[in-house]
Amino acid sequence: MLEIANLSVSYGRVRALDGVEIAIKGAGALHGIIGPNGAGKSTLLDVVTGRRSPSGGAVRYRGKDVTRKSVAWRRRHGMARSFQRTSIFQDLTVREQLTLIARHLGDDRLGDVIEVMNLGDCLDEKAGRIAYGVQRRVDVALALIGRPELLLMDEPGAGLSAEETLNLFLHLRDLVRDRGMAAVVVEHDVDAVFACCDVVTVLDLGRHLATGAPAEIRADARVIAAYLGSAA
Amino acid sequence: MSGGTTTRVDARGGSLFAGSASVRALVYVALAALLFGFGAIAPTHLASEFVLRIGAGGLLLGMLALSVAFLMSQAGLVVLGAASVYGGVGYLFAIAMSKWDLSPTAALLFAFCTVIAYAAVLGALIVRTNPLAFMMLTLAAGEMISHSVMLEGLRDYTSGADGLVVTFKGAVFGMTAADFANATQFWPIAWSAAWILGFAAFAVRRSRFGAILRAIQENEERMRFSGFGTYLPRLAAFVFVNAIADVCGLLHVLNSGFVSPESLGLSVSTNALVAALVGGVANSTGPIAGGVLFAFAQDQFGAHGFTQLLTGLAVVVFIVLLPRGVIGGLIEGARRRSVLSSKRRRTA
Ligand SMILES: Nc1ncnc2c1ncn2[C@@H]1O[C@H](COP(=O)(O)OP(=O)(O)OP(=O)(O)O)[C@@H](O)[C@H]1O
Ligand SMILES: [Mg+2]
Repeated sequence: MLEIANLSVSYGRVRALDGVEIAIKGAGALHGIIGPNGAGKSTLLDVVTGRRSPSGGAVRYRGKDVTRKSVAWRRRHGMARSFQRTSIFQDLTVREQLTLIARHLGDDRLGDVIEVMNLGDCLDEKAGRIAYGVQRRVDVALALIGRPELLLMDEPGAGLSAEETLNLFLHLRDLVRDRGMAAVVVEHDVDAVFACCDVVTVLDLGRHLATGAPAEIRADARVIAAYLGSAA
Repeated sequence: MSGGTTTRVDARGGSLFAGSASVRALVYVALAALLFGFGAIAPTHLASEFVLRIGAGGLLLGMLALSVAFLMSQAGLVVLGAASVYGGVGYLFAIAMSKWDLSPTAALLFAFCTVIAYAAVLGALIVRTNPLAFMMLTLAAGEMISHSVMLEGLRDYTSGADGLVVTFKGAVFGMTAADFANATQFWPIAWSAAWILGFAAFAVRRSRFGAILRAIQENEERMRFSGFGTYLPRLAAFVFVNAIADVCGLLHVLNSGFVSPESLGLSVSTNALVAALVGGVANSTGPIAGGVLFAFAQDQFGAHGFTQLLTGLAVVVFIVLLPRGVIGGLIEGARRRSVLSSKRRRTA
């Protein structure tokens, strides 16, 4: 589905990503990405979705090199994302923004998205007026429109309580399995990640540290030293 | 204001508009048709020629303001070069007739289309930039055009500072040059054009295209991440507002029978901007009303000899006290009042 090959990104002297290699395989799997602050997790999603171009390496999507494709092209070809800092249309009602995008992407099953993200109660409110937690769900809902094949989420649990985050993750896991899509989720809440993800990748200081099943990662000495040990 | 009056008015309004939305829409359409007909005919009988002239000038300025206001409210972009289209189309019209012997109608079409092509090329280059750069670039392009008509090498075509007298034989759309110059005959034309352009802008605003423009203005990045290209819609909006200014410039030259470097000048552009701000940019009525208001105010101020000073003062007052403009302020006031009275009804 997605291959990230020897990817590097520099901001001036800072190497945000340094030769990262990750392969996201199958449909129906939730792939977690964890790592300390500044590890390059958001930068990785930015490069994959076309928000930033890499200084080296390539992104292959469905067997095709898409490194130079535009953001809109990637979205129209089934690659969608949500944002660490909520990025929705504050001045539009929830319904207006969902339908605008659904019509553009030719999605006539918007009801599913509304139900899955539980937005039925606030459809006619301006998105800027609803509670923060609901805005986070709108952000994910915008990414779910058009039945994407690959969904990338940057800390969907940011600003939510541990319980809310776990619920959201359980929800996402079911969604990903039901729809048979591939999903990559960046998250700080390691408990939620270990509980729900099928595969976990750890980044540290722009480098790929480890990838494996949650149990392997939890036991990996390097991961404990770099991240889990300090977090615990 | 007494609460009793409001309630009574509301009760009456309530029974009148109690029917379904389609009945209400019909009433609105009928009222609009009445207002349109009345506005087209009544002034030509009631007002002096002098007042009609100022009024028509105000409508022209209002239509130019409409083009500025549309782009401002729908795309968040300010145009400071409206005059280059407004005056430029007049020059093209004049030159096409006098130098290339085109018939008036052909010259009109040629001028209109050339300006649209110009807007498309300019837009293609500048709508990608940020709002401030965009504004400065429209200003620069406008100034370039306004200076180019003064070039010695083009004097044969433009007559430099003297400007061009624009007359034509025969008729355009069934009207002779003398008809266009006649204030009584021109008023209904300007009035109708203002309504047509106003409705065009209204329709685009209400369309899916308008919704896309506003969404791009609010969160361009999320639009791209939702699969939208953001460049073409902006370019289309830019061409659309230039088409409005284009029509407006043609009406101006047909009416005045004259083009001069002044019609390309920065003050025409800024007047349009001020008229838009005075009337309010959020709908079609605002800028057009703003243009008329501006024209009459300028005339009054001119009589006292302090045009610039008083205009400046009026602008400051409007922007500080009525940031949504006259029409925007009225709508806001009416809305607040209806919310108040509906609250009162609920509590009663
Ligand atoms: N626009 C930028 N300009 C300069 N440096 C940046 C920029 N964005 C990110 N960085 C740097 O790149 C590195 C990686 O940042 P990134 O946001 O990808 O990390 P992250 O893993 O998402 O962190 P967090 O957990 O805090 O979200 C950090 O050192 C950060 O300071
Ligand atoms: Mg991040």
